[in-house]
Amino acid sequence: MSAGFLLRRLGHGIVVVLGVTIVVFIVTRMVGDPVRVMLPIDASDEQRQAFAHHLGLDRPLPAQFADFFAKLARFDFGESLWQRRPAIDIVLERLPATLELVLVGMALALLLAIPLGVIAALRPGRGWDRATVSLSLLGLSLPQFWLGLLLIILFAVEWGLLPTSGRGTPGHLILPALTLALPATGRLAMIARSSMIDELNQPYVQTAIAKGLPLRRVVGLHALRNAANPVLTLAGWELIRSLAGYAVVVETVFAWPGLGYVAIQAIQRQDLVLLQTVVFVVAIMVVAINLAMDLVYKAIDPRIQLE
Amino acid sequence: MKVGLRMARRAVVLACAGASMWALAAGATRAQEIVIALGSEPTTLDPQIRQDGGERAVNDNIYEALIFRTPKGELVPGLAAEMPRLLDPTTWQFRLRAGVKFHNGEPFTADAVVASIARMLDPAVRSENLSYFSTLVRAEKVDDLTVNVVTKAPDSVFLSRMYWLKIIPPQHARSPGFATQPVGTGPYRLVEWVRGERVVLAANPDYWGAKPGVQRVTYRFVSEIGTRLSGLLAREFDIISNLQPEYVKRAPKIGRVPALEVPVVIPNAISGVTADARVRLALNLAVDKKAIAEKLFGGFASVSDGQFISATWFGHDPTINAYPYDPAKARALLKEAGAGGAAIELVGTAGRWLKDRETVEAIAAYWQAVGLKVDVKILEFDGYLKRLFDRQSRPQAIYVSHANPLLHADRTLSDYYHEKGRGSSNKDAELAALIERARSETDPAKQAEIYHMVMKRAHEQAYFVTLVGIDVLYGLSQRMDWTPGVDGKFLAKDMKVTR
Repeated sequence: MSAGFLLRRLGHGIVVVLGVTIVVFIVTRMVGDPVRVMLPIDASDEQRQAFAHHLGLDRPLPAQFADFFAKLARFDFGESLWQRRPAIDIVLERLPATLELVLVGMALALLLAIPLGVIAALRPGRGWDRATVSLSLLGLSLPQFWLGLLLIILFAVEWGLLPTSGRGTPGHLILPALTLALPATGRLAMIARSSMIDELNQPYVQTAIAKGLPLRRVVGLHALRNAANPVLTLAGWELIRSLAGYAVVVETVFAWPGLGYVAIQAIQRQDLVLLQTVVFVVAIMVVAINLAMDLVYKAIDPRIQLE
Repeated sequence: MKVGLRMARRAVVLACAGASMWALAAGATRAQEIVIALGSEPTTLDPQIRQDGGERAVNDNIYEALIFRTPKGELVPGLAAEMPRLLDPTTWQFRLRAGVKFHNGEPFTADAVVASIARMLDPAVRSENLSYFSTLVRAEKVDDLTVNVVTKAPDSVFLSRMYWLKIIPPQHARSPGFATQPVGTGPYRLVEWVRGERVVLAANPDYWGAKPGVQRVTYRFVSEIGTRLSGLLAREFDIISNLQPEYVKRAPKIGRVPALEVPVVIPNAISGVTADARVRLALNLAVDKKAIAEKLFGGFASVSDGQFISATWFGHDPTINAYPYDPAKARALLKEAGAGGAAIELVGTAGRWLKDRETVEAIAAYWQAVGLKVDVKILEFDGYLKRLFDRQSRPQAIYVSHANPLLHADRTLSDYYHEKGRGSSNKDAELAALIERARSETDPAKQAEIYHMVMKRAHEQAYFVTLVGIDVLYGLSQRMDWTPGVDGKFLAKDMKVTR
């Protein structure tokens, strides 16, 4: 891996983040009028104009655009229209909760999926394999919204083991993390299973077994490493989808105080500034995850050339 | 692998045990402590700048106004020692309650009233509530416990406005932390606000009025109704807001405020087929309001009596009856007006008000049943508001839902009945003149008489397709005893824990 590669990828990342930011800027300003949504129906035209003026929304779009990027260059994202405090503060306040949920959820998914998939691959078509495939299909078909409410009703209402919602103790994290993890577990286990089956049919595995290496060593050391790439690719994708999508649903169901709730509120209240900031921060994380995934591929499989 | 599974199992058991111990520990100290789950978190605890349900639910316990409402809705002195006197048509004089202190020790005097009004009107504060108070000019201190409030013109809604204006501490309101550290004169003071997680209030030991029973109130913010209800059933919450009618049976107990939200459809009385009063009447007769109240709202709604205001609001005319459900007559009227089979556009939005889309769809079905071709347009909220506020071209029929926190007809009438109102669809100069006359009439009896004339005229002209008044519902735990007042305020001082 060369420094040139890293620099190029960083360059690409900046282009992606800027591109997303520009698109969001233009789209949010084209679709709606925050003042209309913010003020009660009987607010006078003067009041509406005063609001639009204060927020700078009465200026021509190019002027707003130039101003926005001049400030962005100094990492000044502006003040949330809805909360009247710096948008970046709101995002940074909420980010840890989302990261906690997504990272724990994804770790849980990998911890469940890889053993399930590998064991299933050892005897395809047998009982354990069929059970794994059925459970995986079930897991990945469950709507997260419904799954979350089901877990709440079972674990919190019926059995009283865990709190229904909110954040604070490790107990609060169990149900949301599980809700986030289960569908991903289904998808990851399927991929782990099929790529392991492919790998176990390779001549080198047959040779290793034929020359008397213990099966545990063949599977755990040689085959698993080669089968890992598709699983990691999907895991990276799952991480991104969770961060930028699934977490919103899970956070809503469990009243988990993360970015998802803020994003929904920002959309409903047409808080352009806050929405831009959320998208900007999420875009940076997506780019970072992609870069990290490339580096992990290389570490696992030295044949891969990062150019 | 086996070891891994065993460890995982142990971890889950431990985590569950830890969490349930946490729940037990929380339960032991809950005697006079309650947890309220709201649908949304306050965006600020500044009592003056925002129309925000979460803010109001919390701040109504911290801040107080000069005028209160009884649970039945009558206006009575609050921080004022008695009801104000009119010195001249535009000057009201308040005597203030003596010996009241803000939670931080600042005394409550005329200065607080002056500061509260000045700050509300200050353009730099950019209050989103300004439209409620735009008739005010200023407050003048006479002495420590006497203050005059000056209005631009005779203002018949003045007392309701004063009920809506929270009084702030003049010193503390200038500090930059005011929006996160509310300080009022009310029965509860803020303990902490952990953003995203909770707001905690404690009873104010120095409260000037009757001491509240509930000692500690924790607010949690849970936007999903299914989760709020689960929390209620798991006994984590004592009260949940915005219970939906279909969940009422599952809640241990409920509280309800009748007809706080009033939805309506406004037909275009200026142009198109609906410009004919017979067509507008037919649109009313075609809709089975009783079925909507019972089927759509599970009986937690009542048929509106032909007016776009609720029975508890000042100005309501009790002598007007609901438009009956008479599809045969509706057909006949449409035919008579030459509008049989006409196409009508019906504009609505989704997810903003309780069952907004379902209501619009039900109306469309009833209209279709009498032979009209209905083109339903469900728009996202901002696009919907654009149509509602468009003064150049009025939508042929548009659904709106309206709650009037002042409980006084003027606001509704100015916005929806008056020909220049932002949401109105008529050109009735006579009606507008009546509304303006009522606004400057300060004798309540005479004013009510004018409002009744307005209501009758609008009813005859069928300017609105009136529907139902929707009850606001709360879910209560078994141990809670609370009857919400008609204004729908979430007052912890009125709540009791029975065991």
